[in-house]
Amino acid sequence: MFGFLTHKKTEHPRLAQLRKLGLFSTLRPRELRVVDGLLHEREYLAGEVVFDEGEEGQALYVVLKGRVLICRQGDPVHGRIAEIPAGALFGELALLDGIPRTAQARALDHCIIAALARADFNGLLETHASTASKIALQLARDLGQKLVARYVTMESRPL
Amino acid sequence: MNGSYLAGGPAVWLVTIVITTLLLVASTKALWLVVPLLIAIILYYMMFPIVRRLSLSGLGRETAAAIVAGVVTAFAILVMIPLLPWLAAESVAGQETFYRYLEGGRVLIDRVLGGLESQFAFLKRLDFHAEMGKRAAEFGDTYVQEKLSQVLLAAAASLPTLLLAPFFAFFFLRDGTLFTKLVTRGVPNAFFERTVYMFERVDATAKSYFQGLLKLTAIDTVVLGVGFLAVGVPNAFAIAFVAAILEWIPIVGSIVGCTLAVLVAATAHQNDLWVVYGVVGVFVFNRVLDNFFFIPLTVGRSIRMHPLPTVLMVFIGGAVAGIPGLILALPLAGVVGTIVGTIAGIVRDPRLRARNAYARALLQKRVTADLPI
Repeated sequence: MFGFLTHKKTEHPRLAQLRKLGLFSTLRPRELRVVDGLLHEREYLAGEVVFDEGEEGQALYVVLKGRVLICRQGDPVHGRIAEIPAGALFGELALLDGIPRTAQARALDHCIIAALARADFNGLLETHASTASKIALQLARDLGQKLVARYVTMESRPL
Repeated sequence: MNGSYLAGGPAVWLVTIVITTLLLVASTKALWLVVPLLIAIILYYMMFPIVRRLSLSGLGRETAAAIVAGVVTAFAILVMIPLLPWLAAESVAGQETFYRYLEGGRVLIDRVLGGLESQFAFLKRLDFHAEMGKRAAEFGDTYVQEKLSQVLLAAAASLPTLLLAPFFAFFFLRDGTLFTKLVTRGVPNAFFERTVYMFERVDATAKSYFQGLLKLTAIDTVVLGVGFLAVGVPNAFAIAFVAAILEWIPIVGSIVGCTLAVLVAATAHQNDLWVVYGVVGVFVFNRVLDNFFFIPLTVGRSIRMHPLPTVLMVFIGGAVAGIPGLILALPLAGVVGTIVGTIAGIVRDPRLRARNAYARALLQKRVTADLPI
């Protein structure tokens, strides 16, 4: 009869999916709902361009399904830079500053990608400062890991 | 951000002017809706910082929007309940006051014309004083009285529809982001970031224009109020506030506001023309301050249009939609200009069009993979 008092509320599948993403892993359910309201979910076919090198960046992307290739403009074979798996993010520099994209992003498979626009993130900073700071912290961690990985790769290269 | 996504040039201006004009013409058919919508937009930008503060304190956006809009609606109803019968009761006294100010204005014109005639002989030969005095009296007796009753009747009829304003403002506050998401969902991937940018610019344009306008109104009220007080105009700050609100109507507003203050000053100080000159001086001083300091600091370059189409737009707005057209022309042109500029930027970008065509080809290939011809 009083089971409702001890019953643990199950999280909505959509929010559970978002929580699995590194960028939003530290957010509480209420914060996740706020962020979910800002995310634009988009579908890309294999080979489709997400953004081009040199474009003015407006959004950060998180791969929900599939893989995305980051490469030199128009050279997906020899100009490969990184492969972004499901759960990882790319295009994050656009969120910090509207600088031009440094590489091209193309869908490797049929992808579902969530986009967080810079304007919405800036709005979040003003309306939900603690939520935005948690995302910013995760973003900084991700950037740090990418820097370390790049440094290690450069170190291990034969002279 | 350098704004390189927005295309410019005469073609963009022309399309912007044509679309804005059509929207203004359409607005005249639903003026009862346009006025509450305009107030709702102003309320939205007034309430937005409060909703933001409530959100920061831990309330959800929906709850915060409901609380703020609810308080504003309750306040509007509380003000209107006693206001409507009071307005009806005061209309007779108000009419008398109006005629007193009109008479004060007539006396002022009479004195000024008499002075001019005594200075310039050719004006006396033309019987300038009598002729102009007759025309001024005709204007006051017929045109102003007829128009005034029409305006007052229209204003009284539209008062209840103003209650729609907080209702609209609540939905703007609650569902603004949802609307953006819905529209963006229908946009092809190739144009996604441009659309996001366009919404950001549209919001920034409207926000900077309306919030700037409110700040400008507050500054003008203080400057004009202090000036009127120094000159000796009765109810200085009330007159200054009305004049500052009238400044929302480009070009015409300043003239009407100045005339109103001059009428009040001329009625209160019938034997002292210097007070009237002082009022005009305060207006000119405020205009100069507005043009060189306050407008650049508040409304600034929110519209981001060349001065030529901007001035053209104000005149077209006035011609096709009267006073609401004058008020709406600039912000509407700013928003339409942003949308037209973004679309023109997409149309002129061959790479974006190619990316869209490629995505469509990929989709076609995918959906017809099992349908060999």
